[in-house]
Amino acid sequence: MCDHHDKLRSNNRDLQSIEKQWDRREFFKKTSLGIGAMALGSLLQSEKLWSAVNPVAGPIDSLNSFAKNKLGLPHHLPKAKRIVYLFQSGGPSQLDLFDYKPKLKDMFGQDLPDSIRAGQRLTGMSADQTAFPIAASTLNFKQYGESRAWVSDAMPYLSEVVDDLCFIKGMHTDAINHDPAITFFQTGSQQPGRPSIGSWISYGLGSDNDNLPTFISLVSKNGSGQPLYSRLWGNGFLPTEHQGVQFRSGKDPVLYLGDPENYDGNDRRQMLDYLKKLNGMAYDAFGDPEINARIAQYEMAYRMQTSVPEVTDTSDEPDYIFDMYGPDSRNPGTYAANCLMARKLLEKDVKFVQLYHQGWDQHGNCPGGVKYQSKNTDQGTAALIKDLKQRGMLEDTLVVWGGEFGRTVYSQGQLTETNYGRDHHPKAFTMFMAGAGVKPGFTYGETDDFGYNIIKDPVHTHDFQATLLHLFGIDHERLTFKHQGRRYRLTDVHGDVVKDILV
Amino acid sequence: MAQKNSTPWVDYVIFGLTVFLVFCLIFESFIDLPSLVAWLGRWHPLILHFPIVLLLMAAVIGLLNQIVPKLLLTIATLSALVTAITGFFLGTESVPKGDLIFWHQWMGAGVAFLAVVWYWLSTNHLQQTYLVKGIQVVLILLVGLTGHYGGMITHGEDFLALPRSKKLEKIPEDPLIYEHIVYRVLDNNCIGCHNPNKKKGELLMTNINELLQGGESGPALVLGDPGNSELIRRLHLPMEDEEHMPPDGKKPLTEDEIQILERWIALGASDTLKLSHLDNSEPLAGMVKKMMDSGTENSWAKLPKVADSTLQNLASDYVTIKRIASNSQALSISVFLPPEYDPKNITDLKRIANNIVELDLSGIPLGEKEMELVALCKNLEWLEVDRTPITDMEFAKIIGLENLRVLKAYETGISDESVAVLKDFKGLKSLYVWETQISDQGLSELREALPSLHLDYGIDPELKTEFIEKDTIVDSIQ
Ligand code: HEC
Repeated sequence: MCDHHDKLRSNNRDLQSIEKQWDRREFFKKTSLGIGAMALGSLLQSEKLWSAVNPVAGPIDSLNSFAKNKLGLPHHLPKAKRIVYLFQSGGPSQLDLFDYKPKLKDMFGQDLPDSIRAGQRLTGMSADQTAFPIAASTLNFKQYGESRAWVSDAMPYLSEVVDDLCFIKGMHTDAINHDPAITFFQTGSQQPGRPSIGSWISYGLGSDNDNLPTFISLVSKNGSGQPLYSRLWGNGFLPTEHQGVQFRSGKDPVLYLGDPENYDGNDRRQMLDYLKKLNGMAYDAFGDPEINARIAQYEMAYRMQTSVPEVTDTSDEPDYIFDMYGPDSRNPGTYAANCLMARKLLEKDVKFVQLYHQGWDQHGNCPGGVKYQSKNTDQGTAALIKDLKQRGMLEDTLVVWGGEFGRTVYSQGQLTETNYGRDHHPKAFTMFMAGAGVKPGFTYGETDDFGYNIIKDPVHTHDFQATLLHLFGIDHERLTFKHQGRRYRLTDVHGDVVKDILV
Repeated sequence: MAQKNSTPWVDYVIFGLTVFLVFCLIFESFIDLPSLVAWLGRWHPLILHFPIVLLLMAAVIGLLNQIVPKLLLTIATLSALVTAITGFFLGTESVPKGDLIFWHQWMGAGVAFLAVVWYWLSTNHLQQTYLVKGIQVVLILLVGLTGHYGGMITHGEDFLALPRSKKLEKIPEDPLIYEHIVYRVLDNNCIGCHNPNKKKGELLMTNINELLQGGESGPALVLGDPGNSELIRRLHLPMEDEEHMPPDGKKPLTEDEIQILERWIALGASDTLKLSHLDNSEPLAGMVKKMMDSGTENSWAKLPKVADSTLQNLASDYVTIKRIASNSQALSISVFLPPEYDPKNITDLKRIANNIVELDLSGIPLGEKEMELVALCKNLEWLEVDRTPITDMEFAKIIGLENLRVLKAYETGISDESVAVLKDFKGLKSLYVWETQISDQGLSELREALPSLHLDYGIDPELKTEFIEKDTIVDSIQ
């Protein structure tokens, strides 16, 4: 493992003294390995010697992906091997998509009863409204499939696959504004700084394909609205190699994969090997785990030179696949194209693919906005589900669709016969999942006649996160990381697995 | 004859280590070890062999009324202390401490302290007293127990349990609820005490009639009413209640097991009820299925052991090998196409063929050799050979993989000839065969042979053309 600095020696006085220290450490390491092998075998992880107590830091050896996993994971037999999380940023209006409330039609324009709002805090955007007029959805709802699930006509394609979906209508969250709410969904905490779900899973389960990142995020270029920050797919305090890798939303998802002009790339391996030695020396001297992350990422980048062109090349996809995902899918970087890309990544066993589509923040012109957003996403989402299904991937791939909160039943701003706006609503909204280990054609939870409060089977953000980890074979209470003197987990001190939606 | 120690520093070292150990044990919860010190704990499994051998030797010599060599006792005592201390370090790595580690730690400390007392007595010329004899006997017992607990920590609690004669049989596809599920729960947890030989509380559980008959206090079950059934009542009592079943010390039933019994009683405690009779919304169905799933985990328990090092040798950037769960011998393998493909990447897996339960070879230019390897994977449950150039000839190699559950063979060259092979996969649940040469007739033949098979032949060609027309729907909404 560590034969590397024998040859590299400095003739600078100061450096020589440091080198002596290395030699001493080297001696300890080697003896420990020699004698330890007698009895300790795999018990002894010499890299632990100098690093912080941190089970995955230490020189990265990409070869032993199964041994990387010293955490004793998965805790139980996983149902899901990989996931695509279609994040609908902005807070899609459940009332105009899935949560059908026919009684609201009769209450058009009436004030939302105080007993329903019950003092619930509102955002600064509608708190000083003098009235909270009820706005029934102007979209038409119909029941679809054998499961008779309600879907509005904004999503004609999704309505074809409802029998594969598991709707959760009783979602609720703690935050009422975009950034804290997204951060809460992605990291389990409203304050930035914690690892994203994908990072936790990468840390806990490692990679299934060493040639591609374990956690990849794609932001569609045809959505705009509240900004997204890279920390949403950040690793927080986990080792840096678990950070989500963002693919660009353009023709070249990863830049500079090809060799520059006049360079044949033949000695790149050699160059990287030397670089690794140098970095290894730096790691031995400083013990900074970021150096390991750097070494690992160089290696990953090297392998991605061949693996990425292979996945991002859609030229061998038949026409009917493009047609299924819709015309956008030929335009790289759109939501539909990202859905297709997600399928290709999942096919290559990338564990966590996270899509983001912005623009679901309909404070005004809600019906039009919802239709517009749906037009850009509906076909891609539905096609992805069909495509995964025909490839047998729904058996072990989880699909999640959802935003950071829902929208209010009362109109923000002026209510007319045909138009209204809706403010943020964290107390009840709808998400859906499909695939690995989740009941298909199932609806869980229920809201009151106003779609304002949950009256049956609430699912909190932390419950959702616990369930997600559970499907991956992880007990959310046992996947922890010690940082600043205490152990952290994705669900903090909360979260119950929602057993009722599992098959 | 034992003399006053001529090298007093040994006494100081022993005294020092003893004080240190006491300190560690008392202030355990406040100690946060630097990683180098924690690492010393890793030596515990090596060092512990010394005190076991030396202390046992010394104690036996003493009990045989021979003089225990001073040097032997000194080294034994020292090694016992060092072992206890390193063991303590090692223990700090596993938080929270389980029962096993807890007992092991305190008994280990006990061994060390007893050794120190003996050492102290012998330096004070008290070799042959009864007190020392007593210490020797206790030491032998305690060393054995400590070692046993330690063994259970590393090798699992039932490592030394006698091999159980009754083998857990696989639950059949459509089990009888009483015979295959309920009886299994009772057999595992209750029948040990409620059988014709023991007959506790006059209650027999070996067959359904006896169970319905009940015991001392009357019927154990009230059909259709689990809440009023004596048997269920006892399962729900708090653990410390005298009447809780199984009585204290025994592993209580899991939540699921209790619910299985409850639902079975609620549905009338019939012995003819089958899984297929149950509605999908009936919670019993879900719990039974879950139990059947864990049954497959049990069947993996019989797989041969594979060492991490073997896996490490076979894995590469393009061959990912994973254990299905952390401590399982069942493997899941995915192969990716390297820049230069060599069938050896796959055929080398022969060494671990028996352990492979999931194999993903999609998109690899497979040939006969690779399919021969697949045929060797007798325990294979999940196979992906989609988007490969295989034809009927290669596919025929894998006939008879009876555990296969999921097979993905879309976009391959197989045709109706392979239907015979497919029909033979009796356990097959899902099959993906679109874009193959299999004809409609072949498919219907297959459907007849395997009625419960989920057959996916992709998206209907009519739909495919429809997609394009559908694009207009969305425009009309806007
Ligand atoms: C370690 C032995 C032991 C095991 C294991 C055990 N029992 Fe018992 N059981 C007893 C004894 C002793 C009694 C009688 C004392 C009493 O009534 O509490 C008894 C009594 C009972 C009775 C009351 C019989 C009557 O009519 O008075 C029921 C019901 C019962 N057991 C159910 C169970 C069930 C269900 C299990 C398995 C989960 C189980 N037992 C496992 C020892 C055992």
